[in-house]
Amino acid sequence: MPEAGLHARPASLFVKTAKQFSSSIIVVKDGREANAKSPMKLMTLGAKKGDGILIRAEGEDEEEAVDALVKLISKEEE
Amino acid sequence: MGEKEISKPVELVGVGASEGAVVGPVFVHVARELKPERESISEDEVGAELERVEGAIEAVTEKLSATGERLRDVGNEEEAAIFDAHVELAQDPELSSEVEERIRNLTSSEAAVLTVGEEYAQMFAAMEDEYLAARGDDVRDVTHQIAAELMGRGAEELEALEVPSVILARGLAPSDTARIPKGMALGFVTAEGSKTSHVSIMARLMGIPAVVGVGAALDRALGAETVAVDGGEGYAVANPDPNTVAEFERKQEAVAEERSALEEFKYVEGRTRDGRRIEVSANLGSTDEVEEALSWGAEGVGLFRTEFLFMEREELPSEDEQYEAYRRAAEAFGEKPVIVRTLDVGGDKDLPGIDQPEEENPFLGWRGIRMSLDVPELFKPQLRAILRAAAVGNLKLMFPMIADIEELRAAKEILEECQKELEREGAKIGPVEVGMMVETPAAAVCAEELAKEVSFFSIGTNDLVQYTLAADRGNERLRRLQSADHPAVLKFIRYTCEAAEETGIWVGVCGEAAGEPELIPKLVKFGVTELSMNTPSIPKAKKIVSEL
Repeated sequence: MPEAGLHARPASLFVKTAKQFSSSIIVVKDGREANAKSPMKLMTLGAKKGDGILIRAEGEDEEEAVDALVKLISKEEE
Repeated sequence: MGEKEISKPVELVGVGASEGAVVGPVFVHVARELKPERESISEDEVGAELERVEGAIEAVTEKLSATGERLRDVGNEEEAAIFDAHVELAQDPELSSEVEERIRNLTSSEAAVLTVGEEYAQMFAAMEDEYLAARGDDVRDVTHQIAAELMGRGAEELEALEVPSVILARGLAPSDTARIPKGMALGFVTAEGSKTSHVSIMARLMGIPAVVGVGAALDRALGAETVAVDGGEGYAVANPDPNTVAEFERKQEAVAEERSALEEFKYVEGRTRDGRRIEVSANLGSTDEVEEALSWGAEGVGLFRTEFLFMEREELPSEDEQYEAYRRAAEAFGEKPVIVRTLDVGGDKDLPGIDQPEEENPFLGWRGIRMSLDVPELFKPQLRAILRAAAVGNLKLMFPMIADIEELRAAKEILEECQKELEREGAKIGPVEVGMMVETPAAAVCAEELAKEVSFFSIGTNDLVQYTLAADRGNERLRRLQSADHPAVLKFIRYTCEAAEETGIWVGVCGEAAGEPELIPKLVKFGVTELSMNTPSIPKAKKIVSEL
């Protein structure tokens, strides 16, 4: 996860990326789900650096969406 | 909104918090506590309400994006990023769907937006991660703007001020005033506040008029285009008629004239007629104010507040970052003394990485030296930074909120520890005079014992007044009990001076009282030899001293 977790600013970048895809995208952490296009829901997950999360997408561009988001997170992790 | 006669003058009476007069355009800063105008709607209004929400979200998004862009244009990438995040929040699909659901259940659009926002804000506030907990404010901020838009009070952003204006607000927090572009505030009129609230201090620092504590009358002035403000009298008129405008403009001129008459005093030394030297110094809230203080003729810094280094950030400032700030101030003032006050924060302000329990009375709580002594990782880097910066200038340090000799000794012990550590490390450090604030009645009563342990006292009259008279500084109804010109407070000051004189240490005053024309003669008579105030008061204070 990005340094600050899915906080307001990193979350905003995450949301921006997610919104580029038409698929519906869900982020799962500890069994709780959040709409990846909603910064508020994402932040309620309280994900921090190092936390395991799952990204699930469903729709026409589902694969591209997951790829892009995973890439974004791994890049921020460095 | 209803019908509103915008041309009718509205009189606003409050406290004159910062002298000067001005007539200027109105800029309404949306109040943080927003009440919905309507709670519920009827079945056939649902469609229209849904459309209104959509429009309001769009309008707020546009304003936020525009502000972000403007910040980016001037190279302020970091703040611009905050606005990007706010844009995303405004457009949050979950927010709009939850609001929609409520509207379908016949809740008014503004009530729906405020409730959903508040629910999320509280959810964040309850989170363990402190950074996330603070994000509740972001959500509140954005949803309030949408609600304000819905109620027809365009949520104008302070950053967006392009025309110099008089700012009308319920209250203005430090984060608010910090967002005003330089030169864009002509004056402040607020519903809440007293002479010592942040907005008043800021106004005096900026040299602009302010009327605070006008109460509910402010709401009737929000639709006005122009407002005339007299910060000396504590009086403002929204929608002033031409006569009023002329009258206030005359006042404005008179104030400007007085200021220019005082100009010469910027460059003289503070000295009484019989030759007693009285240092007239500045209170600083950040290193950004250094130049301004020098330009008003400050003979030193009697109170350098260090809170600015710790506020609104994700991590505590490093020793090096603090060193940089203290060094800058010390260097700018050269030979002139700069008194750094160690951190004075309590439960009313958040500190990154410090677990501050919620307190019912933050001003009587875990704050100032009490916190510093308990949290060495907070205290020691600050002391080390001060010791190091003392190598380049005339730095002194003082401890806030001292209530007894044990606290003072404990603080001095830690200081000594830091000194030894630095010496061992071979770091360059300078000599630092150690003083303490006298702001608790306990310290004033025990001044005799405490004086033997320090090189100087600095009387913080704002807190001393509040604690002595048991009167909250921000409570508008207690105005009578918010001045140092009260027999009980004056007795404490006199006693502190006597105790200091006996021991041979000097006394300064760094509260509001130090700059009040009617109090300066009394303070000097008691034996105070340093007066530290907000910079615009300096020339006048020097003049008063010179006539004593």
